[in-house]
Amino acid sequence: MAMMLQKNTNSASGFFNRRPAFSWRLVIKDCLYFMVLAILLGGLLNYSLLLNAFNGALIPRIQQNQLAILKSKAAQLYGISVIDIASSKKLFDDKLAIFVDARTLQEYEAGSISGAISLPARELLRKDIDPSALLPNKETVLITYCDGGDCELALDVATDLAGKGYQNIFIFGEGYPGWAAAGYPVNK
Amino acid sequence: MKLLQNDYLHLMVRLLIGAIFVYSAVPHILDTMGLALSIYNYRLFPSSIIGISAAVIPWITLLSGLALILGVKTRAASFIISALLVIFISLAVTSIIRGLDIDCGCFTGIVRKADWMAVSEDGIMLVCAVFIFFFDRARFSSISLIKQLVFQRKNYEGAL
Repeated sequence: MAMMLQKNTNSASGFFNRRPAFSWRLVIKDCLYFMVLAILLGGLLNYSLLLNAFNGALIPRIQQNQLAILKSKAAQLYGISVIDIASSKKLFDDKLAIFVDARTLQEYEAGSISGAISLPARELLRKDIDPSALLPNKETVLITYCDGGDCELALDVATDLAGKGYQNIFIFGEGYPGWAAAGYPVNK
Repeated sequence: MKLLQNDYLHLMVRLLIGAIFVYSAVPHILDTMGLALSIYNYRLFPSSIIGISAAVIPWITLLSGLALILGVKTRAASFIISALLVIFISLAVTSIIRGLDIDCGCFTGIVRKADWMAVSEDGIMLVCAVFIFFFDRARFSSISLIKQLVFQRKNYEGAL
């Protein structure tokens, strides 16, 4: 391989087109220059982000941003609202809502919110599942959820259900990871 | 084999990969928080790694892309880009295996899921970066153009 690189370097024609002979040491040295410059520029221009990253404030900020994005997307579709974890737990405790797991059946079986029903988004959108068999009353309060983060399966299921006439739909933005992390009841 | 040592082919591939990486880096530099969010979605990294990556990777990408466009330190730039692409491909493959339905975070404002399509596109770019590394050409680099200009000026002044 080194010979091939050497040959290519030497084959450059003309006085102007000469390159220094290939050496890994030179490549690594140049890479280090790039890295040092990038670290200096990135570090100086983003010191507040780095501070947040090291004092543990970055992830809560990211999660807030994600919820804000999800809320704005949900609000544009049939006026569906995003519900927070405290309100979801209240409805769960009072047995006033049905939780709808929008993830795949395998993920649902691996772990889901206690008492939730499985309506995988892909099957629902392909019309492989009829939700009215599982949810006959269209006035039931439904809380859809998926994996949190930027997972949009809960949004897809909520939109589909709203289009089918279900009237009280909420999206639980934190999803199953948020529920499990809070120590709330789960099925495993 | 002769085609692989063609100066024009090398220039074309170099400019293409350089432009893609500059195009990808600039919005990330302007929206570091957005990139941090994309990295967080992979659910693999702690807060400190997310912060460092979001702050530094766009600058590495920008510098490498500019170096490729200008034809300066092209071996080092293509080496860095290859390493980044290997990381991006590994991340996309692990997220597919884990069944995550997430945006890859490659380009701000363009929805590009971390799926097999993204893996194959990154694979093609990796082949291009490896090509730039192994078949490095000095012709059409900014350094050789400057050398030529300086030489021509000296000749012109000598003739006077």
